[in-house]
Amino acid sequence: MIQEVVLEARGVGVSYEEGRDAVSGFDLRIHRGEIVGLIGESGCGKTSAALALMGLARHPGRVTGSVLYDNRNLLEMTDSELREIRGRSIGLITQKPRQSLNPFLTIGTQISRVFRAHNRATREEAQAHAIELLEAVGINDASRRLTAYPHELSGGMAQRALISMAMSSRPQLLIADEPTSGLDVTIQAQFLDRMWERAQATGSAVLLVTQDLGIVANYCDRIVVMAEGRVIEERTVRDFFVSPQQEYSKRILAVQSAERTSNPTARRSDDSTALVDVKGLSKHFVLPDKRRLQAVQDVDLSIPAGHAVGLVGESGSGKTTVGRLLVRLLEPDAGTVVFAGKIITTLDSKAFRPQRARLQIVFQDPFDSLNPRWTVNRIVREPLDLHGLGRNQQTNKMTAEEKQRRIVELLELVGLDRDVGDRKAAALSAGEQQRVCLARALATQPEFLVLDEPTSALPPAARVEMVRLLADLRKRLGISYLFISHDLWTVSQVCDEVAVMYLSQIVEQGSRAQVFEHPAHPYTQALLDSVLRPDPTDRRVDRERKDLSGEIPSPVDLPAGCYLAGRCPLAEGRCREERQELVTMDDGRSVRCWKVAPATRRAP
Amino acid sequence: MTMTAPTDGRQTSSRRLIAAARRDPLLTIGLCIVAVSIFLALFGTAIAPKSPTDPTGAPSEHPSLSHWMGTDASGLDVFSQVISAPRTDVVLAVSAALVSSVLGTLIGLTAGYFRTWWAEVVMRISDVIQAFPVFILGMMLVALSGRNTGNLIVALSLLYTPIFIRLTRAEVLTQRNRSYVESARAMGNSEWKIAFRHVLPNSLAPSLIQLSVTVGFGILLTAGLSYVGAGVRPPTPEWGLMISSSANQLILGEWWPSVFPGLAISLTVFGFAAVGNAIERRVGG
Repeated sequence: MIQEVVLEARGVGVSYEEGRDAVSGFDLRIHRGEIVGLIGESGCGKTSAALALMGLARHPGRVTGSVLYDNRNLLEMTDSELREIRGRSIGLITQKPRQSLNPFLTIGTQISRVFRAHNRATREEAQAHAIELLEAVGINDASRRLTAYPHELSGGMAQRALISMAMSSRPQLLIADEPTSGLDVTIQAQFLDRMWERAQATGSAVLLVTQDLGIVANYCDRIVVMAEGRVIEERTVRDFFVSPQQEYSKRILAVQSAERTSNPTARRSDDSTALVDVKGLSKHFVLPDKRRLQAVQDVDLSIPAGHAVGLVGESGSGKTTVGRLLVRLLEPDAGTVVFAGKIITTLDSKAFRPQRARLQIVFQDPFDSLNPRWTVNRIVREPLDLHGLGRNQQTNKMTAEEKQRRIVELLELVGLDRDVGDRKAAALSAGEQQRVCLARALATQPEFLVLDEPTSALPPAARVEMVRLLADLRKRLGISYLFISHDLWTVSQVCDEVAVMYLSQIVEQGSRAQVFEHPAHPYTQALLDSVLRPDPTDRRVDRERKDLSGEIPSPVDLPAGCYLAGRCPLAEGRCREERQELVTMDDGRSVRCWKVAPATRRAP
Repeated sequence: MTMTAPTDGRQTSSRRLIAAARRDPLLTIGLCIVAVSIFLALFGTAIAPKSPTDPTGAPSEHPSLSHWMGTDASGLDVFSQVISAPRTDVVLAVSAALVSSVLGTLIGLTAGYFRTWWAEVVMRISDVIQAFPVFILGMMLVALSGRNTGNLIVALSLLYTPIFIRLTRAEVLTQRNRSYVESARAMGNSEWKIAFRHVLPNSLAPSLIQLSVTVGFGILLTAGLSYVGAGVRPPTPEWGLMISSSANQLILGEWWPSVFPGLAISLTVFGFAAVGNAIERRVGG
């Protein structure tokens, strides 16, 4: 199959002042209408390589070699010639959408400006074109959105505004550098669908830089693997997933396909008493403009000793607030949390403090969670200083040697070397930082751990390791988890039970098998559907989709009926009027949807 | 901001300082000036060739080998006065800067971290202090409390404390939202412990940067107040006082008794500002 080559890179190198080349000998050919996935670990030079294709390098980098576009070498062009090509023929979408938009201009102005920079058009024509572009990427009510400033948009919305801008002159090549990192799975899928559709419709080629093989499998035609600044493998996606050639490729493929191996469900016995029992938990916040944001509404949750319960949902669903309420970093408006038979929500904060040894929390951003001025040793020692060893030894203060021994033991427990102890957080990788957070949380031998998105700030390889570690620790220590995540795969690896949250409420709750294999609620179905599996034979773009339209509404003005009605493919009149109850079905799971679980079937 | 400095924890701070100074000529000059001014504050009077307070009996002499900076109208050796003055100017400014930075940082920390009603009161009071022109307020305070060194330090400290309150509070407000603060709370630290052990050390950078700059301002203000007669009493050797007592002589062409102390002020203020600037670039604040 002979295709027209859009862009060809020959021996491209990117070097920075101090020694090491970020990229060297980079060859790449991109054909018309083709989507190429560029993968590799963080720091392997994939972003540098992608930027170099536009003749760009981060200061003080220098680009060498040749990039042929339209039979001309981009790297030998003058600035004004390059400006002609950038934005018009080659579009760029960067990783951080909000930082790429000018905060002082409305997105309408920004899109029209880009368009008018490359095309002859009046202000009105450009405006009309901008509306068209926004509609094409699935933004409802585009003409009103034009007047929005970047801070008024959600992350997914901003990213789509950026793609509109990049696509405004119908570039022949679009370079997208991890365009969906930090977005929810549903929004990620929506966005990539739109990008894929736009590329198919306009015949643009796309270079998609990512670390996620799921994305590659679902959207790309060809894959380029980089390591240490060089291309180590280049195949069609189907071939790659069947038989990766390089050792590195095999490893990352094995790591990311791990989801295929499923572990057996621990059946929950009814007589086991709950370690954590939550009843009717509600919490609202008051915004600066005095509006009321209902973050959590009437949540019931029960976590038996030794069990792991997953709490999933998009950002803004209130799952993080639930986690904070459970360890009393926030005070609830209503409802109780019973921990080990004691109501902890009514204890005064001083009396509760010693209890904190028994229930701990790990946060999403590991670097932010560690005091930047402290060494790892000091960080892990802090809970020991505060509580002694925890539970049984609260009265015994530990001696300095005991503490030191315990620190080493804890570091080993989470798989860290003991000499990490002398370093500060900034000198560790994200995965190591999160292990330190975990070691600190485990120091006092807690019985219950809230894990608030512990893996979402980690690169894929570290994520898989962290998930394995968490599953392993649970077995070894018999500890209970509330595992909060928007990443369904990690939840399925760690948890026996899953609760799905949407807009402050739990909409479905059941065993892992029930929720993941036979989701009942339309929201759960859509959530599962948007997971991108690293399997090119089961591509999302080929299937019929159970998409939700739009994004999670603001919890400030909640809809009258079912909260999902505005996005649900099954919604009808009754859904918009009637508030939905969480109904327990015969098989023991609970669902908040009258179509799936009619109230008449409510268990006695 | 600057990523050039290797973050090797084992390097001693003095060695790091030397390495930094080598790369940054402005810092080197600043450090030299600061070192000289502190040296003179300690030993200036002792090494002065003539007494700074006893007239030599030879008034209005041009700069010469026997009087490097000449003598003033009353016959005092200008060089001896210039190098004795840091005992007043630098000591005053450094003490005021230290008092106000410690006070301001602590108040800023509590006001930013606890955010109670009294924190609001403190902030409004510092608004009022900062709303007045520094110089006028300084004159008023000295006029009310009397002209002596102790009162001058108190007045200067009062003037500069709001700067440190504001800087620290702003930093604390961003630090208190970081997860390590929440982690500390989840671990069972009391709020005071979180404020002092976690938030305070991470909120010091802006105050440290400001400290050196404030010493410079303090020297300028001390000299200024003395110039208008609201500072130290004559015959204490003091740069502002020297300029004011010799300003009349300028018209007669006797430039040296006022130009040399003026230069001394400029150089010292520049030196402290340069050090502050270098710290700022290094800390990335």
